[in-house]
Amino acid sequence: LKQQHGQPNQTDEERLFLSLSEQLRHVFLLITRFAERAGSMPPEVQTAQWQAVRDVSESAMFLTEAYAESGKLQHRLTSPEIEPVTVSALLYDAAERLRPLARQYDVELALDEVPRLTPVMSDRYILQAALTSLGQVFVLAQAEAENHMPLMFAAHRTRYGIVAGVYTEDSELTAEAFRKGRMLYGRSSQPLGKLVSGPATGVFVADALLQSISAKLHLARYHGRVGLGVTLPICDQLQLV
Amino acid sequence: MKQRVLLIEPDGMLASLYGEALREHGYTVVVAKTAEQGVAAADAHRPDIVVLELQMARHNGVEFLYEFRSYTEWQDIPIIVLTSLPEHDLSKYALLPKPLEITAVLKKSETSTALLAQEVAAALEARRR
Repeated sequence: LKQQHGQPNQTDEERLFLSLSEQLRHVFLLITRFAERAGSMPPEVQTAQWQAVRDVSESAMFLTEAYAESGKLQHRLTSPEIEPVTVSALLYDAAERLRPLARQYDVELALDEVPRLTPVMSDRYILQAALTSLGQVFVLAQAEAENHMPLMFAAHRTRYGIVAGVYTEDSELTAEAFRKGRMLYGRSSQPLGKLVSGPATGVFVADALLQSISAKLHLARYHGRVGLGVTLPICDQLQLV
Repeated sequence: MKQRVLLIEPDGMLASLYGEALREHGYTVVVAKTAEQGVAAADAHRPDIVVLELQMARHNGVEFLYEFRSYTEWQDIPIIVLTSLPEHDLSKYALLPKPLEITAVLKKSETSTALLAQEVAAALEARRR
């Protein structure tokens, strides 16, 4: 089954690695071209560009760490640490981590006033890394858009559990496009072309991380916005507390 | 009068780095982030040459290429593709038939900002002859 939607003999792990290497290539490209130009820039421009390169590099480093964690989880070199987790706190952390990158690309990040939600039983790091990786893709997608719409990190309760996700008003993403993106993953350099021009590695890193806690990304809607989210089952015992 | 380069590049940071290098070489640079913006900018600024990334979200560079070349007055304007697309995806663009014809296909990883300026100069010179 793993080999059905990629190149022959290519595993999900290999696809993820290729996707990550594409994304890192872009960061190295930025650093290289910046290094060429730095000498001829006025000092104030040089300082601003240094900051930009730093923010982009930090974001790529985080993605690389999240990727490495997904690999360790897949190979059982580490295992999830399940504990009660407050989703709104995780969303706050993810948004804060992405703020420097968003600032670079002039993208506004908003955190919805999340009502008091029951904690879920999950792994704090895995969830935070997944949401941050996901958010990164949305920031880059907005950066390329003609008009930058604010991104919203939000959690809400449904009959199936608590949905934590990243949403935007400006997206052509549909469940069908997302399904096709998963199919094209490993085959196309733009598997989620409706969302972002690059390899959208963050989405697939998030997918791989969530898989280790038996969760999965899906298309989600929130107050007229569209995005990607994960449904986390509410722990009945915690609900009673 | 300065010659105008339309640079269609979705990444703002790269657009700024390549754009500044071209300005230093005496060109007026108009930057567009999307294929739609590219067509609008071409209409408004009448570029002498286009530098195009094929890999863009939603409407990609190939769609731009088809639309741009569908206007007869733009059919002889040189287009340089400057892209991050991997090697195996590039060969199919190098030999597109007229009027889609591309002047040069350059990989970003191998094209310094100075080299792009040289390629632009060479393409404009070839057109002038």
